[in-house]
Amino acid sequence: MAKRGTPAGLIGTTAFQGLAVSEMGAQGVSALPLLVVEHPLGGERPEAIARRAQQAFEQLNALISGSRTATVDRASGATPTGERPSGATGISNSPPAVQADLAAPATINIPDDPIALLEEFTRRNWGDGLPIVAPTEDRVHAMLGGRDGSRTLGMMPPLWRQVTLEKLAVNAVMAGCEPRAFPIIAAAVEAMLDRTFNLYGVQATTHPVAPLVIVNGSYGRSIGLHGGSGCFGPGFRANATIGRAIRLILLNVGGAWPGRYDMATQGSPAKFSYCIAENEAASPWGALADGDTVTVYGGEPPHNVNDHVSTTAAGILTTVCDTAVSLGSNVGWYFSQSQLLVVLGPEHAKTIADDGFSRADVQRFVYEHARLPLGRLKLAGMWGMHDWPAWMNAVTDPTAAMPQVPSPDDIYVVVAGGSGKHSAVVPNCTFSRAVSRRIALSDD
Amino acid sequence: MAQIRVLSPVGVVKAQTVPVPSLPESWSGRTVGFLDNTKSNFDRLVGDLGALLRERYGVAAVVYRRKANASTPASPELIEELAKACDVVFAGSAD
Repeated sequence: MAKRGTPAGLIGTTAFQGLAVSEMGAQGVSALPLLVVEHPLGGERPEAIARRAQQAFEQLNALISGSRTATVDRASGATPTGERPSGATGISNSPPAVQADLAAPATINIPDDPIALLEEFTRRNWGDGLPIVAPTEDRVHAMLGGRDGSRTLGMMPPLWRQVTLEKLAVNAVMAGCEPRAFPIIAAAVEAMLDRTFNLYGVQATTHPVAPLVIVNGSYGRSIGLHGGSGCFGPGFRANATIGRAIRLILLNVGGAWPGRYDMATQGSPAKFSYCIAENEAASPWGALADGDTVTVYGGEPPHNVNDHVSTTAAGILTTVCDTAVSLGSNVGWYFSQSQLLVVLGPEHAKTIADDGFSRADVQRFVYEHARLPLGRLKLAGMWGMHDWPAWMNAVTDPTAAMPQVPSPDDIYVVVAGGSGKHSAVVPNCTFSRAVSRRIALSDD
Repeated sequence: MAQIRVLSPVGVVKAQTVPVPSLPESWSGRTVGFLDNTKSNFDRLVGDLGALLRERYGVAAVVYRRKANASTPASPELIEELAKACDVVFAGSAD
């Protein structure tokens, strides 16, 4: 709005102030007014809302009169002079942490000791909490494998930092990746930067979404990517380190630090590492994607589907559908972008295929049966802030079974895992669509 | 102990500072817009704030618009509409 010449500003709450300020800085519009009110806003009573409106008005009044709100101590609300601004919450518009993020040096010298490395990187918020491999110039050079490290793939939200191949390589080394993993990492990052994936939403949301990287093709298998028993973890270096590299890139290149710019309320174990190969050998229907391909899907951790008794496709898929839907699920509220991933264990997949079901049949069955009645959806969840097409908003029958996703094509079906009567569903975050990219194995 | 040199994993921001229009000095007779990001109670907050602006600043009109959802940007059409109709626009951010 401001870039078009219209005076503009933002209104946010204290808990999200750091994210707002950092993004304004990254977009080059730090001078925009930011009115900050007490968090939370949701769930508050009318008198509390009115008090927050007064806070916003007083800050605006101060800006208009030319006296910016003084930097105050957030805990005490006291200004440096000891006076407390009347009615204001005592909020600084320039959190010190933002300046430190923008001033990171290109290299640092540290003692050649793994504990010292971990302690220094932890102090700088450069890691995920786990020990790392030191990203020396030699290791980063080897990871790049002759590629131009200055080549950029774009900018990564939420802080809109440059995504250079060198930075991807640094984080891949830290994660413990072999250089052969680098083409997969680069393809996954390219896929996440596609607007369709909505990486900004995925990075900054309060939902615990993590990008699941699904790899198809022989190249992934050749470097050890695992799609069989225990594929979601732990135990397989390629799965663990590629997934971890993605997370370190999202943290360090994108800037999505927990609680400051990544606002996931509780986070998720899947945010440490989330990468599998599809078990193509066990799939009755062929691979999710042809050739050497990565697919990124913004999802929750896998929800287990335990069906030890069904001998038909309908039986197993009924269990899948029941597991897939709940009032607390994010799927279906922002309808146009909602997707669902079904990860069938090989035994379930075989039973379903032996019953004559194609992949399209599985998609259609789940689309038709993974539904909740309108009356139940009205109880809570995200009711009232949902974004539905007109035909869904026109439904009034409380018993009507509402679809979760726009079409059967929005149900992704892959086969992964080993022996046993288990499958999984992975709900998406309701505002990101899966994207696939070919793995570039040349130096282009 | 021997030292090693390691590379920073942190991405670099290369944004240029964009000049932003100043807020008007006088708000009397102005039209103020609010862009709701759909998060709970933002509509009530700006309803109260809009009333204060009318009462204390003599703002003539308040325009309220709502994004389709919280997690994707406002449409270009919505931004165009607000830019044309309003003298100042405030957008809701986060929760």
